[in-house]
Amino acid sequence: MKHLVKGQGFGAVIGVVLMLAVFSLIDASGWWTAQTMSNVIHYTAILGILAMGQALVIMTKEIDLSVGSVYGLAGIAFIMLQPALGVAGAILAALMIAAAIGVLQGYAVVRGGLPSMIVTLGGLFTVRGIIYVWTGGSVKAFPEEARNAFVTRLFGGEILGLEAAVFWMLAVAAMLNLVLWATRFGNHVLATGGSAESADSRGVLTGRVKIVTFMLCSVLAGFAGILTLADQPQTHVTIGDLMELEAISAAVIGGCLLSGGRGSLTGAVLGAFIITSFRYELIALGAPSSWFITFVGVVLIVAVIFNQKLARMAGHSV
Amino acid sequence: MAHPLISVKNLDLYFGAFHALKDVSVDFDAGELVGLVGDNGAGKTTLIRVLCGIHKPTKGEVWFDGARVKEFHPKLAIDNGIETIQQSVGLCDNLSIARNFYLGREPVKKILGIPFLDFAKMRGESRKVIREFGLRDNVSADDEVERLSGGERQSVKIGRAVEFMNRVVIMDEPTNHLSVREREHVNELAVQLKEQGLLVIYITHDIFQVHKLADRIVIMENGEKVADAKTTDMTAEELEEVIRQGGRKVEKRGAA
Repeated sequence: MKHLVKGQGFGAVIGVVLMLAVFSLIDASGWWTAQTMSNVIHYTAILGILAMGQALVIMTKEIDLSVGSVYGLAGIAFIMLQPALGVAGAILAALMIAAAIGVLQGYAVVRGGLPSMIVTLGGLFTVRGIIYVWTGGSVKAFPEEARNAFVTRLFGGEILGLEAAVFWMLAVAAMLNLVLWATRFGNHVLATGGSAESADSRGVLTGRVKIVTFMLCSVLAGFAGILTLADQPQTHVTIGDLMELEAISAAVIGGCLLSGGRGSLTGAVLGAFIITSFRYELIALGAPSSWFITFVGVVLIVAVIFNQKLARMAGHSV
Repeated sequence: MAHPLISVKNLDLYFGAFHALKDVSVDFDAGELVGLVGDNGAGKTTLIRVLCGIHKPTKGEVWFDGARVKEFHPKLAIDNGIETIQQSVGLCDNLSIARNFYLGREPVKKILGIPFLDFAKMRGESRKVIREFGLRDNVSADDEVERLSGGERQSVKIGRAVEFMNRVVIMDEPTNHLSVREREHVNELAVQLKEQGLLVIYITHDIFQVHKLADRIVIMENGEKVADAKTTDMTAEELEEVIRQGGRKVEKRGAA
């Protein structure tokens, strides 16, 4: 807790508390229902995984706009490759595709000295195009036996009455937190975002650090896509559309500063929780779903202002 | 001594068409404090950046401890024990003193075979050093560097240079923006390092300040070495005259 208060995720904690209080007040009956909760938690887990990957990239002072497309492509690869490779093989192949996209983009950013905003915007379109071409715009689904395969259930089924994705998200969060805060690589990630020049001068290979974070971000996006499609093994070409913006918003609401070097993985998950909650609360209230994007935008702006104030209060120069 | 610790031979460096270093040759010995002086754009920092592996020379040779340097990379320089203390570079504001202290060579402790950062060692050692190098009592090793004053930042960098048993410490304008007391403190540290047998290269504009500390002064001008003299052979005023005239070459290194 002490770490959280000192860390960047504190704003998101306040946000979650406020939001839960408000939702309970305006709509106790629609909000605290098993159906809403189950949806919120499931989608928070998926978006949370994307947001944590995004948070890592943002902490190195870069950004990855391609995660929504990579999420979709990995999910689709998982379905499309299953007949040839089996369920487990398809998962591995999908994750490798995602990793390759991350490495390629990272490489272009680092070696080419290009802004990641542009490189990954290109990635967003390229990968989305591949999805259209590969599926031919049609819907593909798992056959019955693949749907019921143990591995599919392991990623898309339920454990102890909760979606498996929740447990995967918690495992990923625990692992990434350890990597970020308690390993050499983590220290290099934070240093790269804090001051790449200083990190370089200490012999940190900042280029390699960035490429690895882009790869991690893509793999996590791909993994989230697999978790989604293991639950509902059916492809559609728009899967993951605009999810990059939700992931970035979640990371920023969770306290990641785009100036690099500061952020919180736990905060990113809380940010995902806030965004997801707004989506399902609007549904529960019966509001038109198109309002969702507007709300995300407003929450994002409020959160950025709030987090910046918090950071200044903590004495950071941002 | 059989050979100088660092020997630069006929070094040329171009940035595109710009000739930044012109046929520079200079030797540095261990246990020596050398003042490297010159105006802005004289090539001091460029020369230093070659020594610490940031720039690769276009032509010429660099020898370190009797071996020719073939690859130029900051990490190799650090591994060789060449530490550079720059005014604005070297510390990440967002990290704690302990994390900065060990940045790039973090100690690890294996737990279940996984190498985790050895926080106890990082905190313990850096705490010891920050006390020795005169940081405020209320500063802890867990505090972010952001909290530190300019002098304290320099102290952390110098402490770090000492801690890792370096052989060469290059100080690039180490006393800019420092208060008078902090400046004295940093200068004392520079002399201390030399007395411990390290080579200290001290870059500055201020010939009078460095003349008091240094054993030898090297003056650069327009990418060339224009003077190389022991402080016992030339007064600060004489050296200042060289800088003022720019270009008149002086070589007084005794029986070199």
